[in-house]
Amino acid sequence: MPTFKLDGKEIPFEPGDTIIKAAWRQGIEIPHYCWHPGLSVAANCRMCLVEILPAANQRAMMLDILEWDAALNDYKPIKKPKLQPSCQYAATEGMEVNSDTSSHVVDARKAVQEFLLLNHPVDCPICDQSGECKLQDYWLDHGQYKKRMRDEPVHKPKAVVFGPTIVYDAERCVMCTRCVRFMDEVAQDPVLDMRERGNLNEISVAPGRQLDGHYTFMTEHVCPVGALTTKDFRFKARVWFLRTVPSVCQGCATGCNAHLDFDPRYNKAQRYRPRDNEAVNKFWMCDEGMLSYHRAHDGRITEPKVGGKTVLTTVALEEAKRVLGSVAKESIAIVLSAQHSLEDNWALQQLGSKLTGGAGVYMTSSITDGYEDTILINRDKNPNTNGVKQLAGDVKPFATLMEDIAAGRVTHVIALGGETPGGVKDLEVLGRVSSMIVVASHEGALTKMARVVLPAASWAETSGTYVNAKGMHQVADKALELEGSSKPGWQQLAALGAALGVDTPWKKLKEVRAQLPAEAKPAPSPGATPAVTANP
Amino acid sequence: MIRKTDFLTRTYDKPEGWTLPVYERLGGYQAVKKALGMTRDEVVNEAKKANVRGRGGAGFPMGVKWSFMKPHPTKPAYLAINADEGEPGTHKDRTIMEQNPHAVIEGCIIGCYGIGAHVASIYVRDELHLSKKRLWDAIKEARAKGYLGKRPFGKDYPVEVYVHTGAGAYICGEETSMLNSLEGKRGEPRLKPPFPAQAGAFGCPTTVNNLETIAIVPTVFGMGGEEFSKLSTLHGINDGGARLFGVNGHVKKPQIIELAVGVTMNELIYDIGGGVLGDKKILCAIPGGSSTPVLRPEEVVNVTDEKSPLFQWNGKSVFDVPLGVDTMRGVGTMLGTCCVTVLAEGTCPVLAMQNLMQFYHHESCGQCTPCREGSAWLDRTLQKILDGQASMADLDALGDIANNIMGNTICAFGEGTAMPALGFLRKFRKEFEQYVRGEKKGSEARLTVQ
Repeated sequence: MPTFKLDGKEIPFEPGDTIIKAAWRQGIEIPHYCWHPGLSVAANCRMCLVEILPAANQRAMMLDILEWDAALNDYKPIKKPKLQPSCQYAATEGMEVNSDTSSHVVDARKAVQEFLLLNHPVDCPICDQSGECKLQDYWLDHGQYKKRMRDEPVHKPKAVVFGPTIVYDAERCVMCTRCVRFMDEVAQDPVLDMRERGNLNEISVAPGRQLDGHYTFMTEHVCPVGALTTKDFRFKARVWFLRTVPSVCQGCATGCNAHLDFDPRYNKAQRYRPRDNEAVNKFWMCDEGMLSYHRAHDGRITEPKVGGKTVLTTVALEEAKRVLGSVAKESIAIVLSAQHSLEDNWALQQLGSKLTGGAGVYMTSSITDGYEDTILINRDKNPNTNGVKQLAGDVKPFATLMEDIAAGRVTHVIALGGETPGGVKDLEVLGRVSSMIVVASHEGALTKMARVVLPAASWAETSGTYVNAKGMHQVADKALELEGSSKPGWQQLAALGAALGVDTPWKKLKEVRAQLPAEAKPAPSPGATPAVTANP
Repeated sequence: MIRKTDFLTRTYDKPEGWTLPVYERLGGYQAVKKALGMTRDEVVNEAKKANVRGRGGAGFPMGVKWSFMKPHPTKPAYLAINADEGEPGTHKDRTIMEQNPHAVIEGCIIGCYGIGAHVASIYVRDELHLSKKRLWDAIKEARAKGYLGKRPFGKDYPVEVYVHTGAGAYICGEETSMLNSLEGKRGEPRLKPPFPAQAGAFGCPTTVNNLETIAIVPTVFGMGGEEFSKLSTLHGINDGGARLFGVNGHVKKPQIIELAVGVTMNELIYDIGGGVLGDKKILCAIPGGSSTPVLRPEEVVNVTDEKSPLFQWNGKSVFDVPLGVDTMRGVGTMLGTCCVTVLAEGTCPVLAMQNLMQFYHHESCGQCTPCREGSAWLDRTLQKILDGQASMADLDALGDIANNIMGNTICAFGEGTAMPALGFLRKFRKEFEQYVRGEKKGSEARLTVQ
């Protein structure tokens, strides 16, 4: 691989890479606002300027500037080299680039920082971006000057509602056009543009339109400052109180990698942020996915129930034993769930095979034929359909379960997950089941009709593995503490097995994972983008 | 040395001088026949020999620019003519469009042939309504005669010329910004590379020439490139031919005149412009449009290198150096558009600088940070200085701001702002200090001669 030198360090690059991109691959950040690895190059912020040393037989291009000489009491003409934007300049073999080590670059960065903050309202105390704002970070890293412009800054529109999800503050905007380029290039809906000129510039929505569609949250996500905020997160939390864990979006079979940000003080999930993964979602997530963190708290099953009434776990397990005690094995259906993790499904599969001999295994799921697009959104709204299929190759579809119930071949059900593809339409048939035992994290048709419900931890409360549409195993880590009496699904199923007199010896997640069949074992997801963890 | 020519101006002030019959009677549409009889390479070589330095301000050799055009396997080539004349103090292209539009059309045919294009678009500043009308009328006349169309002058080389109304601002005079505007996009400069010769209008190879540059092309081919170049006393340093010179500001006879290259600023001001209003002394002069740093008559050429082309003027006033692309660069400014703006003694350089910076503040497209914020900050600080509200720190900041715009922007607009700002600061620091110290008042500052 060819290399060039950045501040004396060898940086390998792929042909066509720009300086900033090659450095970014190595985990070295050249400061920037407008550049984003997933968007086209705009080179308008001028923060990433670097000094490129001339080749041996060439002279550097020098520019005439002035320096005030106090001793002379006059200006002194001096020269400075022409700097180049590293986001635009292609890396070439043997090139020598000075970034942090060039005094000209240091000066230029400081100047750009001062220019950007010239008319900025500096309303950090009431700004949602505060704490994760490039203006703040770079001021500390590259600014640290005393403010020279003490006049009234330019005023521009504030709190402009761009659409159902996004609010814009033109005074905070640095005009990097990342949002404009995102809508053009990724969302393929060129609804944003810039209007006016000079320092009166502002981002605006196309006349007659609003910023809507399936990817509006990403405009906020790419915004390096607090100009774009989401109505969902606005004024809700200060980011320095939040902790984050790597998670996997549960909204569809794409399995977008996400950061789940939560407030540990209140055990509350506050938002998702996309987690870069070149092989899955690149840098993006859809709006539905971005909002799906709400499911960490909404529609949850948190207490055991018998006949709809909240009871103690021991009571629920007793009831399960009572209703299943004398039932013929072939009348019991084992229903795996595309909504639950590989670990939970494995536990139920183990329980089922010991209880019924492994026949009659079905799969439930949420909607499987919803909205889809060619960007990220999969029509299958379940995070783990492939995981269930890998575990139980001969798993029967939910429709077959409904037929078998209607025909009386299935009278009892042990199910994982509350949701069914048909929702309320499934209630009538499910009502014909004599008794249903459901282990679930969320409410659905199954929990509604169940005799016994055991609360399972949601994806946010326990580590779990999910297999996406591409067959990649991805782990969502534990963020929140367990809510109510819920326990990880595999743990509830172990307790259920014990109550039913079945040997269910697994006690730790490690043990469960060790026993997952080889093809269903979680592997580190491939193609994860490099060590730069902060927002690019 | 003043040597008047009338290649472009021979139709000026003639009755119906802008029509095809008059143009032809005065020798028009002859050179194009000669050019169309040559091969493409010959045309480009002839253009190179003429040493026509781009008339738009940067002074890039026209022939060399043409030679960058390589045939593309799938894409057509375009000729784009920049007539978005908006530089303060510049008023030459307009006269050509209004009074000699057929020179432009003829130049376009030759230019298209030379670079391998079949379409030329002339991007005319919106406000110049008469210019647009005269160009359109000229195109219609030429089409009716068959000079434009499928077989110009019997040559199987179709050429069409269109006039495109500028839909933008000053920045649309920047060549890539103009191409964006031509395509119907927001007039913002593009990132370079790729340069227009690789990917210009609609992503196709494009040559962008200034309107005056293309208008002189028929002359070049009529008299031969080398002959044309030799008109100039600066022929030896590749700055050839004749061009339009403008003189404006505080002179008695502001005007546009065509002269062979080699005239000095003093000749232009006194012999052509009739001297300074009220017979005052010259405070300073801006050589060619507001983006070029100001010169003071007290400045003398200080070149010690004998090999330097400027050596022969060593020790002389910069106002006695012939106005040329490289000579002006040698004295720390730019030739620009070659329209000299004169400020008479008694007028205020601080107000002049504020006036210019107000313009750049207003016209910055706002795409990149240093220009967007810096130009506005310069204007604001200068306003404070004139209002008597500025401190020495504010004055010192001016230099910093301009230094930090310089070279750090996407297009040359940044330098166009920073260079004149640094020029005024360096040459008039005392006047600025007088305002800061309260010795002068902005309300008494004038840009007019009393």
